[in-house]
Amino acid sequence: MFKKQEERTENFTKAETIIGHSVKVKGDFNSQGDIIVEGMVTGNLKTKGSLQVGEKAQIKADIEAREAKIGGEIKGNVKVKDFLELTTTAKVYGDIEAASLSIERGAILNGKCTMTKEDKEADLKTEHARKEEQGHSS
Amino acid sequence: MHVYIYDSYINQKKYDKAIAMIETRLTDLGLNGKIARLGLMKNIPDLVQNELKRGAKTITAVGNDQTVCQVINALAGNAAPLGIIPVGKNNNFIATSLGITSSQEACDILSARRIMKLDLGRANQNFFLANANITTLGTIVEIDQDYSIETAESGIVNIVNFTTGEEKLPISSTQNKFNPTDGILEFFIVTGQDRKFLKKITGKSIFSFKSLTIINKDYPVILDQVLKISTPVEISVAKQILNVIVGKERSF
Repeated sequence: MFKKQEERTENFTKAETIIGHSVKVKGDFNSQGDIIVEGMVTGNLKTKGSLQVGEKAQIKADIEAREAKIGGEIKGNVKVKDFLELTTTAKVYGDIEAASLSIERGAILNGKCTMTKEDKEADLKTEHARKEEQGHSS
Repeated sequence: MHVYIYDSYINQKKYDKAIAMIETRLTDLGLNGKIARLGLMKNIPDLVQNELKRGAKTITAVGNDQTVCQVINALAGNAAPLGIIPVGKNNNFIATSLGITSSQEACDILSARRIMKLDLGRANQNFFLANANITTLGTIVEIDQDYSIETAESGIVNIVNFTTGEEKLPISSTQNKFNPTDGILEFFIVTGQDRKFLKKITGKSIFSFKSLTIINKDYPVILDQVLKISTPVEISVAKQILNVIVGKERSF
């Protein structure tokens, strides 16, 4: 119990933006740093840092982040460059895209799931194979 | 030439002893200058402008936060620094945050002349030194013309340049967020009244911004706990626009 509170305090300390539990944000929200959402967001949410969505958060927006930990409700698409984690209380109604993914038991995901890192590796392998073939044929 | 602007409330008899002590100390330190007393027919902006034209070297507000608030609006952008001599026990939070904790100490601080160039917050045509706030009830905040923020819970919207300790923000000042020389104003919403298992839970929100607009039909924005201005209010930072004589024990 105490560890969770300490971790929460530490995250609050580091985050550039915190949207508290009774706050509604409407519009296009762009940030460079880490964001913690515990309230409501409608529109678009983009950050170059990490995103943490609390249990009681409600987001009706398309999301882009470097990495994300989702514990609340999202109605929209989620695009994450690195690691995406859906915790047990997460409810995502939309497509997700990430390089690395973790989904806890109890999380809800209704949408397409695309793994971007494997796609890139597959593309590189295909390109490499094609070049080898061209080399052999010539 | 040093100019001392005496607020009208210090004419009361109970402050005679304090004023006499201040004037003696200033004489001992060689900081004598012109005394300008505020009254019904005199307002601070005109007074400050006239003294600056006459070559005032320092403008010192002798009074409380209200006096300081009025002087900074007249002095912003000028090279002459602001000095503060707090008089009385109440409403001297700005002076305390600048490291000026008593009238006696204020005179020594003026003599030491430690000058810092501070940011001010700009709220429409006015400036504020420490903070601006408004209740959350009915308030809509539009940030950088990209998104808007509102909350249904009761609480306070704060825009902070540096903390005076009166804002009761649930964030430690050691987090290095409240620096009046960094060119940034911090925006907080503190709401608070959830009670869960007898434990009060305070909600807090933090945003960074370049400029924001506050809209509220019913309530004004309060600058430095003193000046009320009606909305819509556009708030932005005026970087390093005011020279202030500060003490060692300041909060930043």
